[in-house]
Amino acid sequence: MTSLLIFEHIQNAYHSLRSTKMRTLLTILGVAIGVASITTILSLGGGVTKLVSNQIDNLGGNIAVVRPGMVSKSLNDFTNPTTSGIFTTSTLTEEDFRDIQAVEGVEAAAPLMVLNGSVKSTKNGTKPANSVIVATTPSLEQIAKLPIRDGQFIDTVTDQNTSVIGSQLSVDLFGTDQSIGQTFTFRGQIFTVIGVLKHMNNPINYNNVDFDHTAIISLESGKGFNQGIVQIQQINVSAKSVDQLPHVIDTANKQLLANHQDEKDFDILSGEEIAKPTSQFFKAVTAVMTVIAAISLVVGGIGIMNIMLVGVAERTREIGLRKAVGASDINIVWQFLTESLIMSLLGGILGYISGYIIALMISTALPFDPIFSWEIAAIAMSIAVGVGTVFGLYPAIRAARKDPIESLRQYH
Amino acid sequence: MTKKIPPVIELRGLTKRYGVGDAEHNALDEIDLTIEKGEFITIMGPSGCGKTTLLNILGLLDRSDDGEYLLDGKSVETLSNTRHARIRSQQIGIVFQSFNLINRLNVIENVALPLTYKGMFRTKRLIMASEILKSFHLSEREYYMPWQLSGGQMQRVAIARALVNNPSIILADEPTGNLDSKSSHIVMEELSDLHKRGNTIVMVTHNPNLTTYASRVIQMLDGKVASDTKVPPAKKETNKKKPLNIESSTPPVKDTPKKSAKNRKKKQAKK
Ligand SMILES: Nc1ncnc2c1ncn2[C@@H]1O[C@H](COP(=O)(O)OP(=O)(O)O)[C@@H](O)[C@H]1O
Ligand SMILES: [Mg+2]
Repeated sequence: MTSLLIFEHIQNAYHSLRSTKMRTLLTILGVAIGVASITTILSLGGGVTKLVSNQIDNLGGNIAVVRPGMVSKSLNDFTNPTTSGIFTTSTLTEEDFRDIQAVEGVEAAAPLMVLNGSVKSTKNGTKPANSVIVATTPSLEQIAKLPIRDGQFIDTVTDQNTSVIGSQLSVDLFGTDQSIGQTFTFRGQIFTVIGVLKHMNNPINYNNVDFDHTAIISLESGKGFNQGIVQIQQINVSAKSVDQLPHVIDTANKQLLANHQDEKDFDILSGEEIAKPTSQFFKAVTAVMTVIAAISLVVGGIGIMNIMLVGVAERTREIGLRKAVGASDINIVWQFLTESLIMSLLGGILGYISGYIIALMISTALPFDPIFSWEIAAIAMSIAVGVGTVFGLYPAIRAARKDPIESLRQYH
Repeated sequence: MTKKIPPVIELRGLTKRYGVGDAEHNALDEIDLTIEKGEFITIMGPSGCGKTTLLNILGLLDRSDDGEYLLDGKSVETLSNTRHARIRSQQIGIVFQSFNLINRLNVIENVALPLTYKGMFRTKRLIMASEILKSFHLSEREYYMPWQLSGGQMQRVAIARALVNNPSIILADEPTGNLDSKSSHIVMEELSDLHKRGNTIVMVTHNPNLTTYASRVIQMLDGKVASDTKVPPAKKETNKKKPLNIESSTPPVKDTPKKSAKNRKKKQAKK
């Protein structure tokens, strides 16, 4: 019986929402803003993940990454290595790196130690603003498939104080990308350029290092800047074959646990996990958008509740009359809940569409596109329906609880 | 009928109190009343004696504070709100003292409303509503809005709405209070017809002439039944042959003059 009434409720809601167009529209907008933020976050986040996971697929699927862990997983997400060089105390040591390198089945391993400070050209004294210094071992070239344009990658034979620089850094420092043999200083130490990387234009990657702006130096040199202590933000590991990767991860995990007195203050990631966005910029954007989304969803929900309470008050007599002619409490609950659900669903649809428009606009300034997936649509719609239900239920129950006689006595 | 069936309505010591402390007062004071199936009862009595309160309780819109109300031999006190709603939907039709039409719905939709809660589809609802409006000579007003009608028309729409779901019990609170003699006649003929078809009717009125339709006249005073008279069918028969004078020579006593005045003002304002 109630199921038949659904058409009735929808028709009813349509008429009553139409008769109060302006306030209905404003209420819908309230929900739409929240859903738009969610859609933007999810589609851009999906875009980043897809971008990075494509990179990892291209590397061959035999890659694992070890990252230092912090107290909790969520906090960890905010303190991973970054291009901005925020220097946090890492839990990974040089010993860990050496042990991983020694694990059976490991083809190569390379640590990434990101250093604070800026580089300065000895030729003309220019100090590029957004340069990054990474200390690592020669095997990084192979694991990260770094393309050399000129010269060679760092190796164990040449002098410690040599460096391979990104093409953009070369231009920023020396005004040219032909900079083999040029020198720059970093924290008072002179480095000679022995190689220049190809231009990659790949600022978002699983290393969280924009190699176009990076000076790569040897781990020994890096250690010298840090009182001989190696602070590793990430260890890249490649297995001899894809089949051996699970075994490698397992062994490395046991070894690191032993090194860390059984404390799991690190993460070994492989496959899709590596692709999880870790860039600080993206995190900041996501955090801000999530807060906006949460606030606007609550505000949107309160808007629905407010308008529904007004509607219930305005229609007190109607409620009394409907009850008098046979409406049950459940009928009344559904009548009003349908109304709030329709508003929130319309808000959801509007928000979903505008969320994509916003994402597409933002992505013109980013090296990736937002993704479209039915999951995002489903999430956006369920959030909208959830808001409509949660905030529409109370007014609807209030309507149903009204005493028919008292309601009929009211005049407007 | 020879077989003994339980009375449709049986009240035992029914009491309704309003107010607290010194202001406490019994709107209904231990009413005992038995109504058999097929009776046409008119309730008369001065304003404030509890007629509307009684009808509200009979219509399951209100609950008593004391005493018992048996509907078809079963106590209604123990039934859930949902059961009450079901009974109102299937069994009871209520005509209110004030029309209580929904202003944002047109005439036919107002009349069709009770059928909604019987789970009937819209098309069928509108057909049934249209039929009953025809018998009230309101066919050409089907798509009017309530505020475009005269008081008499509004009341006829309200009565049509009460009758549309074919209730076996009809509770009417001054159904002809706002009608001219022609409209009153139409309404009373309709009620009389329903009565003849075996429905039970309880009607509150101030017009003594209308008691001619009734099979029983109850006088109320201060929340109590003051007198209870069965009208012999013979008398009814002779009365019916006389020309009807539905409009009483003296203007009927209005139950709530304030409300009526307000309504009139409203109507004028709308024009
Ligand atoms: N909601 C209420 N609160 C307090 N008193 C009420 C209420 N409803 C009715 N009454 C009182 O109950 C008595 C009976 O009212 P009512 O049944 O409306 O009388 P009638 O319909 O016979 O004119 C009156 O004295 C009235 O003031
Ligand atoms: Mg009354």
